[in-house]
Amino acid sequence: MLKGWWWKFGGAFIFLYVLIGGMTIPLRPGITSVQPSNAKTGENILLDITGYNTHFDQAKNIRAWLKLDSTHAINALKTNAEGPNHLQMEFQIPETAPDGNEVYPLHLIIDNEIDGAFILPNAVFVSRSTDSLMFNPNEWTNGKMDKFHNYTGIQFPYRNILNETIRNTFFHVALWFAMFILLLYGVYYSIRYLRSGNFDNDRLASSYTIVAILYGSLGILTGSVWAKFTWNTFWTNDVKLNMTAIALLIYFAYLILRGIQYDQDKRARLAAIYNIFAFIALIPLVFVIPRLQDSLHPGNGGNPALGGEDLDNTLRMFFYPSIIALFLIGKWMAEILTRYERLKDQYFIKSK
Amino acid sequence: MYTKTQKFIQQSFIIILMVLLLSPEVNAQGIDFLRSTGKIYSVVAVIVILFSGIFYFLYRIDNKLTKLENHIKNE
Repeated sequence: MLKGWWWKFGGAFIFLYVLIGGMTIPLRPGITSVQPSNAKTGENILLDITGYNTHFDQAKNIRAWLKLDSTHAINALKTNAEGPNHLQMEFQIPETAPDGNEVYPLHLIIDNEIDGAFILPNAVFVSRSTDSLMFNPNEWTNGKMDKFHNYTGIQFPYRNILNETIRNTFFHVALWFAMFILLLYGVYYSIRYLRSGNFDNDRLASSYTIVAILYGSLGILTGSVWAKFTWNTFWTNDVKLNMTAIALLIYFAYLILRGIQYDQDKRARLAAIYNIFAFIALIPLVFVIPRLQDSLHPGNGGNPALGGEDLDNTLRMFFYPSIIALFLIGKWMAEILTRYERLKDQYFIKSK
Repeated sequence: MYTKTQKFIQQSFIIILMVLLLSPEVNAQGIDFLRSTGKIYSVVAVIVILFSGIFYFLYRIDNKLTKLENHIKNE
């Protein structure tokens, strides 16, 4: 299927699509910050809200709620837009608090006809006054949440802390997926080499693995940059980080093994066997152990990733093409490397 | 093996990298800049790393091919 040259241009073209689409499509509206972030029961508070990609000044019908749970919420008494991303709202926090809670969080929901509805969880923390009464649910049911507007059109989801870096999904995450496909190719050619003894398979196996190692190193570097702006550190003791670092070290040993000037037959055989074992070691390191423990990466310490809310449909439109594009570009690089190795071997064998 | 210009480019690249990574003031300013407008510039940084990685790979193959060509020429 991947014969001829069309897939090389296909890879470049798809990557261009991912770059342009992934960088130009805006994020959905969201709430960046709320001031003040705490209040007392029975207090009348004025909230200063900073939004992201919102249109508060153009919207005619802004409604807002502070939500306790699915049935209990209070709505804003007054809203005052001070610009596209600034909003002031007045809330009357009820006298009574849910029983047994000294401090309880309220979630802020804002709805208007341009941006649709969006939420900031744990926006305001309310602490109980000394003379507060038994919980009276009637105070909490005056804000009925209904008739939400829906935003139509293609936009990426807004997540707190992640913000625009959600676009890194197309580059960092896809890089790892492409690396895995390239490693699979490498193992396939290693097995073919062991069965046939044809050196061309050995060259292909080593080229694919080298490009995959390049992708893995880039994955670590890009992940490190992403982590700096979301987890506030270049490296944490997250299980997935440490396990991938170990897996990469195993593959660096493969590079050393290939660099040894040895008799070609033995080196190829050794490298092929090592490659298969390294791949077998990679699977538990990257896919099994991180799932058994809590991790900062999504989809670990519980259900697998790529299901449910981890990946939005608009993200999928660019995430899957990005994997294909990076794989095709990697395959292209691997083939160029193979052709170089082939020429070199031909030349040196002839000159001997 | 390397020409003078190649060496100069390599050395200046390393020096710039060291200055960027090690000087704390530049680091803090750079990070503040990267945090602006919804952290979009950190995405740009990720793309730059990705492209420079691919570029580095191509540069290596280019060098290797030049060496092989010279070998064949000198025969």
